[in-house]
Amino acid sequence: MTLMHIEEFRIAQFGTRLGTRLEGERAREILESLLLSLPEEGQVRISLEGLEVLSTSFADELIGKALQHVVHGEFGDRTMVLITPSLELAEGIDVKLSQRRLALLCQHNGRWDLVGFRSPALSETVQRIIEKKRTTARELAVELDLQMNACVNRVARLAGLRLIRRRKIGMKGPQDIFELYSIVSS
Amino acid sequence: MRQGLSRLTVETIDDVLAQVVDGRISRIDLRGARFVDPYALLLLELLVLEAIERGSTPRIDWPGTPVVRRWMTAMGFFANIGMAPKTGSSAGDRQSALQPITAISDEEGIGRVVDGFHQRLANRYPLPEASRRTLTAMMIELFQNIPHHSNATGEIGNPHGIAAMQDYKESIFLAIADKGIGLRGSLGLRLGYEKITDVQALDAISRKGLSRFADAGRGGELQRIIGIVRSWDGTFALRSGAALLYFDEHRGDIYDVPDFPGVQLAIQIPLRLFDTEMVDP
Repeated sequence: MTLMHIEEFRIAQFGTRLGTRLEGERAREILESLLLSLPEEGQVRISLEGLEVLSTSFADELIGKALQHVVHGEFGDRTMVLITPSLELAEGIDVKLSQRRLALLCQHNGRWDLVGFRSPALSETVQRIIEKKRTTARELAVELDLQMNACVNRVARLAGLRLIRRRKIGMKGPQDIFELYSIVSS
Repeated sequence: MRQGLSRLTVETIDDVLAQVVDGRISRIDLRGARFVDPYALLLLELLVLEAIERGSTPRIDWPGTPVVRRWMTAMGFFANIGMAPKTGSSAGDRQSALQPITAISDEEGIGRVVDGFHQRLANRYPLPEASRRTLTAMMIELFQNIPHHSNATGEIGNPHGIAAMQDYKESIFLAIADKGIGLRGSLGLRLGYEKITDVQALDAISRKGLSRFADAGRGGELQRIIGIVRSWDGTFALRSGAALLYFDEHRGDIYDVPDFPGVQLAIQIPLRLFDTEMVDP
């Protein structure tokens, strides 16, 4: 994997108390332009620093819809993550991503965790991939004491949500073998 | 006006509406009212505007108690219904009204309106930041429902979106109202909900989190706000058409009320909750 190109996107550039769906829609145009300007596998780090209020409507219009487009592959392999000074500020994002059955990696106090649609199983798996930076489903299955199929399913779900990257490195019987990469550094 | 009704509030204003809607009386006597809350005030304003738009001039004897009249004046009520010039109120009046009646028309102006409400709240109360933030986020969601839903069919000339806020010794009271198409009119635009009743629409929106938009990210805001108000032991009223959802810390249900256009909402939050950091449910 090459070194990732990362750009920060501060939501506070639009105001400190946000906002309506209309404002969120306008902000999304700028966010998606930034995503498109990045090279393949680039990443936008959305920062909530400097915000006082973030409404669920603004959060959905800006982040929920943009992430939906990312997950649908409209931005290639580019990813988005969230950085927040407080979990309370990220609450509206959590609610709306859950409604959309999407999830984002969110950094708070230096620790990465999932916000939005998540389960203990997905959180455990993504945490292990972040710690290892690079691994395989087979290694993970052993470390997490999982059946291979269960592990492959978790990994496929995480990759589908653009929470990790995976690259096919071969086949074993009918099964593809993937190398898995974290999209953030622990 | 019902004999002995001295308080025009979220609990009693439907008694007044019932008389007007039924056409049982030609004159509304409010002279005995010694207290009016913001929800009742907004409903009175919409009632008068609705009557004027229908070509009638309602005959109302306004409250005679000076303190109530001063407060209604300071809230901008008489100016809004054309009974007084739209001029600034006196310093004393301004002190009695926390946030006078404010028009909410398009989505563009909501940020400014919310900033105004936020600032007045901040000036009057040393509330913890987290509390003010939660209230402000609520206002953003509730205010934008007016441009999003009150005239979604395009059939209303002016839905008259308005909001006001008042503080009391033990609570803060936020009221938001319009006389647009109502919850049934808005949700009825969604496929499969065309023949929904007022009660069903109120239930679907407040309890199931539905919206007229099928998009997965839409809806759920009112449901979430209701959950927060309930967790604060607050009072909540959501009225639309002929249905009213009302709850306080002791009871709650959906009630039949006299049919009136639009959506009217009240949130009363006990001030004691602001002594410490609020915790969301």
